[in-house]
Amino acid sequence: MNNSSQSTKKKTSTFERSRTITGALFILPTFVFVCIFVLWPLFQVFRYSMTDWNGISADMNFVGFENFKALTKLDGFWTMCRATVIYAIGVMALTIISAFLMALVLDKKGPLRINRGLMRSLWFFPCLLSGTVIGILWRIMYNYQNGIINTLLKGAGLPKVNWLESPNIAMVAVIIASVWASTGMCIIIFMAGLQSIDGSLYEAASIDGATGNQQLWYITVPMMAPSITINVLTTTIAAFKMYELPLNITNGGPGKATTLITKNIYDLGFMSVKTGMGSALSVVLILIITLISLIQLVYLRKREDIY
Amino acid sequence: MRKAEKIRTVIGEILLAILTVIIFIPIYYFAIGAFKTRSDIVQHPLVITIEGLKKVGFKNFAYVWGRTKVVESLFNTATITFISIIVVVIFASLAGFAIARVKRKAFETFYALLVAMMVIPFIGCLIPLVKQSVAIGTYGSIWACILIQIAWNLPFATFLFVGFMGGIPKDLEEAAYIDGCSMLGTYFRIFLPLLTPVISTCCIRCGVGIWNDFLVTSTMVNQVDAPTLMVSLYKFFGSRSTEYGYAFAGIILSSIPMITVFLLLQKNFIKGLTAGAVKG
Repeated sequence: MNNSSQSTKKKTSTFERSRTITGALFILPTFVFVCIFVLWPLFQVFRYSMTDWNGISADMNFVGFENFKALTKLDGFWTMCRATVIYAIGVMALTIISAFLMALVLDKKGPLRINRGLMRSLWFFPCLLSGTVIGILWRIMYNYQNGIINTLLKGAGLPKVNWLESPNIAMVAVIIASVWASTGMCIIIFMAGLQSIDGSLYEAASIDGATGNQQLWYITVPMMAPSITINVLTTTIAAFKMYELPLNITNGGPGKATTLITKNIYDLGFMSVKTGMGSALSVVLILIITLISLIQLVYLRKREDIY
Repeated sequence: MRKAEKIRTVIGEILLAILTVIIFIPIYYFAIGAFKTRSDIVQHPLVITIEGLKKVGFKNFAYVWGRTKVVESLFNTATITFISIIVVVIFASLAGFAIARVKRKAFETFYALLVAMMVIPFIGCLIPLVKQSVAIGTYGSIWACILIQIAWNLPFATFLFVGFMGGIPKDLEEAAYIDGCSMLGTYFRIFLPLLTPVISTCCIRCGVGIWNDFLVTSTMVNQVDAPTLMVSLYKFFGSRSTEYGYAFAGIILSSIPMITVFLLLQKNFIKGLTAGAVKG
């Protein structure tokens, strides 16, 4: 009796150990790849940010936080930080709101019998295009003289808008194009969230006399908390990383109104061979994204737990 | 009360239809613009006539095809995307299987690290990556892009696979072990057939990202030796070009492959995406 239980124990432990080893082997390729091509470069960026390296020469001296100090004195540093934050928050807020409302409408079966699958695909379409393509397309559409947007505005009897020449409007223009590009993906995730809500909740609420708005606010929104979290996080992170889209629409202009941190990293690192400063700016961007994601995650998760 | 609600849904539907049309205008605009002359695009942006179509035909496409290295670009971009995606799917599904199915502290720690990596902006690591690819001798060839794309897509892909595999019933796996199947056998015989939706999702999300990539290809390879689609597009139509018809033809040529893939995998794509991602 004693013997047999011991042998079973031994058997399970060898079984478990072999599972650990096989599991580790399964993870190994992923582990190796991310260590070499993600974590090592990341470590290097932090190292370069403390040096005066120019990207080409062999000598590299440790300078401490000099690069960061130089950054804050850089012409237009704060404008660029502000532009990045405004861009990211603008894109995130507008994408989430429009995607949420669209998902609500798409989720209900209306009397007009519009094909929901088709609608969803149409909204998703822009997500398949690249930032370069979207940038080129919207630059052409925003053209003051002969862009389609101004043509349509004129056709509707409205004044033409000089989309890309004035700083504030150019930022709005870039944000609109980005929202157009990212709403479809969020709609799909929101729709899946809506479909997983138990219908009996609404029945119970309407028996208790809750109005449509109350049901939306007290049932739909809380039950959607996980999909809201994932959408807010992914759109914010993607907006902070965005590079090609503003590059192709405005090329950072007019002046430096739509120059985001990403474009500056590229210019410092590859155009003006200030690798140390470019790396310092990369560190700043990495820290901003991490901080904002953490704040969002903690806040949104707490809301998830309440309900 | 019921009538008011009905009116609300009808209004919602009408708004939905109008908004969808507005959202789709840019796509319609460039899709027909590729078959029009520049002055036609400017003067009648949303109309296409049979005569105009007969006159222009595929001239814009022919111009782009003749002036740019379309064939080489398509080939290079397709190679990068194809190889990267296959490797990503294999590695990420294996890792996802181990993380979701073999509960070990170390694996979970690694998973947390992978999820955190999704936050890192790629552009921030570009400088060391260039130096690294020079050091390992891949700089200038498409292999530099492939290696980097694999590594930078693995975190998100693994995240998808872990989410999806967590939802597969445990009994299936146990039954396989009792019948004497090894872990690799279980992965191939039990899991892989069930993974079709999430593999589609991974192919579309990561595949579209790699196909559309501009940063990696523009820094790692040059346009003479290894032209790629998005960089060519940027070079030819990026800032100065006013030849709208050519630009639109270029956009269509570079986007059609991914649109086709999406239409083919669409059903499974949504299933796989929502099974994993929404749970958070």
